[in-house]
Amino acid sequence: MSDDLILETRGILKQYPGLTALNRVDYRVRRNAVNVLIGENGAGKSTLMRILAGVEAPDSGEILLNGSAISLRSPREAAAHGIAIVHQELAVLPNLDLAENVFAGRELTRSALIDRTTEDRRTVSALLRLGKPMEAKTPAAALSLGRRQLVELARSLAHGASLLILDEPTSALSLAEAETLFGVLAELKAGGMTIIYISHRLHELLHLGDHFTVLRSGCVVGEGARGEVDRKWIVERMSGKAYGELSACAGATVGESLLSIRDLCVAPMRDDEAALQGLSVELRRGEILGVYGLLGSGRTELMETLAGARRMTSGTVTLQGKRLRLKDVASTVEAGMVLVPEDRQRDGLIPELSIRENIALSSMGGVLIDRKRQAAETEKLARELSIAAPDLERPITALSGGNQQKALLARCLMRSPMVLLLDEPTRGVDVGAKEEIYRILRRLAGDGLSIVFTSSEIEETRMLATRTLVLCQGRIAAELTAAETTDEALFSAASPHVVQTRDGVEVTV
Amino acid sequence: MSGSAKPANRVLFLVLKLRAVLMLVLLLAMFTALSPTFLTANNLSILAKHVAISALLAVGMTFVVLTGGIDLSVGSIAGLSGIVAGLLITGVAVGGVVHFLPIWLVVLLALLVGALVGACNGLLVARFSVTPFIATLGTLYIARGTALLLSGGHTFPNLAGVAAHGNMGFPALGQSFAMGVPTPVWMTLVIAAIAAVVAARTPFGRHIYAVGGNERAARLAGIRTARVKGVTYVISGACAALVGLIIAAQLESAHPATGESFELNAIAAVVLGGTSLMGGRGSIGGSLIGAMVIGVLADGLVMLGVSEFWQIVIKGVVIVLAVAVDQLQSRVQFRFLTTLFAGKAEVAQ
Repeated sequence: MSDDLILETRGILKQYPGLTALNRVDYRVRRNAVNVLIGENGAGKSTLMRILAGVEAPDSGEILLNGSAISLRSPREAAAHGIAIVHQELAVLPNLDLAENVFAGRELTRSALIDRTTEDRRTVSALLRLGKPMEAKTPAAALSLGRRQLVELARSLAHGASLLILDEPTSALSLAEAETLFGVLAELKAGGMTIIYISHRLHELLHLGDHFTVLRSGCVVGEGARGEVDRKWIVERMSGKAYGELSACAGATVGESLLSIRDLCVAPMRDDEAALQGLSVELRRGEILGVYGLLGSGRTELMETLAGARRMTSGTVTLQGKRLRLKDVASTVEAGMVLVPEDRQRDGLIPELSIRENIALSSMGGVLIDRKRQAAETEKLARELSIAAPDLERPITALSGGNQQKALLARCLMRSPMVLLLDEPTRGVDVGAKEEIYRILRRLAGDGLSIVFTSSEIEETRMLATRTLVLCQGRIAAELTAAETTDEALFSAASPHVVQTRDGVEVTV
Repeated sequence: MSGSAKPANRVLFLVLKLRAVLMLVLLLAMFTALSPTFLTANNLSILAKHVAISALLAVGMTFVVLTGGIDLSVGSIAGLSGIVAGLLITGVAVGGVVHFLPIWLVVLLALLVGALVGACNGLLVARFSVTPFIATLGTLYIARGTALLLSGGHTFPNLAGVAAHGNMGFPALGQSFAMGVPTPVWMTLVIAAIAAVVAARTPFGRHIYAVGGNERAARLAGIRTARVKGVTYVISGACAALVGLIIAAQLESAHPATGESFELNAIAAVVLGGTSLMGGRGSIGGSLIGAMVIGVLADGLVMLGVSEFWQIVIKGVVIVLAVAVDQLQSRVQFRFLTTLFAGKAEVAQ
């Protein structure tokens, strides 16, 4: 092992039911550099990082730190080796204050009692190093997402991490907050830190990265240093296709107006949610409308409101000229609008039921279930969506992620809806199945179904949407045609613009 | 954009935060006005003894509830520990010879039994992921059944001990005074003080709050969440066992049905004291006040001659109101803190 490698994995294998997340991965991390890890959703990046952080154990394989094998069976052990991770879903304790968060699990004590004074001092100095001074006694619940992330960074700094893993650190940040983060990372690198950086944003990666590793379907499919790597190199390895093939979808023919949303306002239900403030948009028959936005932009809130899972405070939604009250999910489905939720495992599938029962779940009415008719209908849908299952009576958990997603799609289609709502339609789905789902969705749109989908993947938004709505802090920031949808256009529209007033206060405009 | 929370918000926040204290003061004032014998040294001493018992249970319960759990087995543990003490003081026959243990050992063993049942709770909840409600419901029955088995359903009378057996002195645990204050009250005060420091000032205490606030995040931060949860049940079990000992010492007898429905009083005290049943928010001090509110309410209503049936209804109403207000508080607190601190965080740049 050469000296410039701080960490190396050999033959890491990790399997979940129905999915090989990591297939004998040899991953190399260069010392004192920004190591970029790229891959589509479901490529195995987060799994690999969770293993390095000691959150999950691999089925087999070994991890070498500075040339010697180590075991990482808990976050505690990983921390002892100087490995710190800032998780994609932030792990902040909302009921504790900043110092308590920074030292959670590693409290400083003096004669058995917590040494609050030193904790406060070190918290403030870590936050100062990150360029965002805050009071140590501020409750974490009062912070924005961007600031919560800084608290997690401060936690790593305060514990002297030498290898810092950032899993999609900018997905929740505004452009200004992201710029601050890049500055911080550059300084940390100058101070000798090794960084593993995961992101979907190509321009950000190309700007930051020193070394690049591409994961696809649980395998390392490319490694390169800054200089050898460009946008084309990344996209081709991520998708496994030549650059040219990845054309955006052709301008589909769209029909008359179907769904009309006027001045939609929705109040947030939790502290990390956005309020929707006066959204107006038209959806035509056969149209595929993409909704793009950062975390906290209101995209999930919009989808849930349209699905009837969330109350709107004001505004009107009309479907085919008929006003919808969006009171609850059942009556919204009745009216012809169905949601495929983002989190398949949590909000979608019933693991105890068979594939057939999962598909038929929303369409069981009447007194007795007509098993024959139900079986025939599910069979037909399964064939149309080419769900790869030998037998629909098998448990749904036996299917791969892509086929599970198709089963959910089938459930919604069985209600013959007019509008299909998709929250992250290909999350945790491998590349092949992704293409297939895109094809299916385009075909459905061609048959006159209207589709609204949200995605955090730019490539997906570009490839699928005939029109894209960009949300920013609960408002429509831009409406882009397929031709106008580029990385740069999406980013700049999705980022809140922050200005400093005379007294140094940040104001978003 | 300074952090100026609206004054109305600030007042509402304070009233809600101090609601248990306000309630206690109100009740004390009301009963003093309505009953001439309420505020007498004799009555206060009796009241303090009552409060000490539910407060002790509430202290243990607070730790459990702060992690987001619940312990229904405390009443049964109190009953079991009293029976264990009764059995040991009456004498244990081993190979035809009856053995008598010194009182300190009897007390220690009874406490250990309580801690052991607590450890079972902890193991079930933390290791085998049984819902706390179900796990402790199970041990509630097991402990009560064991107490009945050990005693054959009978009371152990005359626990004063015999000089010849060298096991005198047990009743002092419940009946003696120090500086004019009943010993059980002293014990409760000392234990509550230690518990308050543990909760607020030690790493273990902070881990409890962390687990209750967001268990996943706590685990990711490297906190041994299973161990933290498990230990809280051991503490609760030991507190319950001490309560059983105190009651047995006060009565100089141990009855297997002692402590029935005590768990509900303890939970009520914890909730009244502002600890969230969802975990992560609350304090030992709050639970003490909560126990006082419940104790004062019960004793005061008795002194006013309110019917026993009405007493039960009133207690229920108070508990339901307390939880409803708790919901209100978390909403107001969130708004208040956001306005107060969001401003500060911005200004600090």
